[in-house]
Amino acid sequence: MSADNAYAVELKGVSFYRGTRSIFKNVDIRIPRGKVTGIMGPSGCGKTTLLRLIGAQLRPAEGEIWVNGRNLPTLSRRELFDMRKQMGVLFQSGALFTDLDVFENVAFPLRVHTKLPEEMIRDIVLMKLEAVGLRGAIELMPDELSGGMKRRVALARAIALDPQILMYDEPFVGQDPIAMGVLVRLIRLLNDALGITSIVVSHDLAETASIADYLYVVGDSQVLGQGTPDELMNSDNPRIRQFMQGLADGPVPFHYPAPSYRDDLLGAR
Amino acid sequence: MSDASIRQVDGELCLSGVIDYSTGPALREEGGRLIRAAQATELVLDCSAVEHSSSVGLSLLLAFMRDAQKHGKSLVIRALPVEMRQIAQVSRLIELLPLRD
Repeated sequence: MSADNAYAVELKGVSFYRGTRSIFKNVDIRIPRGKVTGIMGPSGCGKTTLLRLIGAQLRPAEGEIWVNGRNLPTLSRRELFDMRKQMGVLFQSGALFTDLDVFENVAFPLRVHTKLPEEMIRDIVLMKLEAVGLRGAIELMPDELSGGMKRRVALARAIALDPQILMYDEPFVGQDPIAMGVLVRLIRLLNDALGITSIVVSHDLAETASIADYLYVVGDSQVLGQGTPDELMNSDNPRIRQFMQGLADGPVPFHYPAPSYRDDLLGAR
Repeated sequence: MSDASIRQVDGELCLSGVIDYSTGPALREEGGRLIRAAQATELVLDCSAVEHSSSVGLSLLLAFMRDAQKHGKSLVIRALPVEMRQIAQVSRLIELLPLRD
């Protein structure tokens, strides 16, 4: 049993493979309840995979994944369906339904997962859109929205069912500075005011460090480091320093392994 | 199944229990019936016995406000729990709710 109630999510000894390539090897991660936790690392290090493991869309090859006191790999399909209602995800792409207007996009999870009457669905949709500042946009179609607005509508949809855990997959990618500022403020507001546990997966260092209470840096199939943003900024671990300070070269080399350049260009083939 | 109810106690409406997506629809119906049937024109909705509420609880308050309005009655809300107040703040509902503490 897990279960330190201080943690909303706990990964214990989790390994996950794609074919023979290990994405995670015996990883331990603990996400404190009610806080914003950033999961950082270079592109391709398995951050999105991590969210899918927590969201029970993927099963680990080994290890335990505890969410709100339940070990996901041991649950039935039905139990997982119920667990997913406790989790909201803001996907990298926003993933709005392009043939539904803003209202129907936010109403969608309420229609699928609840039997609320139409008037209550309308109340909740308007409340969620008001929270993200887009109540006036209910009749717009997704292709009439800016990138920042799309992401806010997706956020309103992600909180439609009042999840206890909210996961953000690269929320800042492709956002202009104003939209980025709006998102940072919203993530913090939702977290603090509603007591949501937030997991922000990102490679945008400045934004993530600015809102996270706690950070994990992942890479090379493992947790390279963890701590408060300040602790990691001042880490003397060269791998963490390279990532946190954005150095092109370091323990993670700039060059993908390659044969000798000379041999490649001038050597006999 | 979560447990929740709305009842008339000493002339006041009392909302209690866990208000969520499973209990919301029945509470909506029962509350609407009580408001319609109430003799008084000034109704009080006491929320002090609400143990836990999602956004559904706020939607219920709005639905009851609409019911009261439709039947020419006034409604005030008493003892809104902190959790509901926080949801109301995030969705900027606080100014719209007839709160009396």
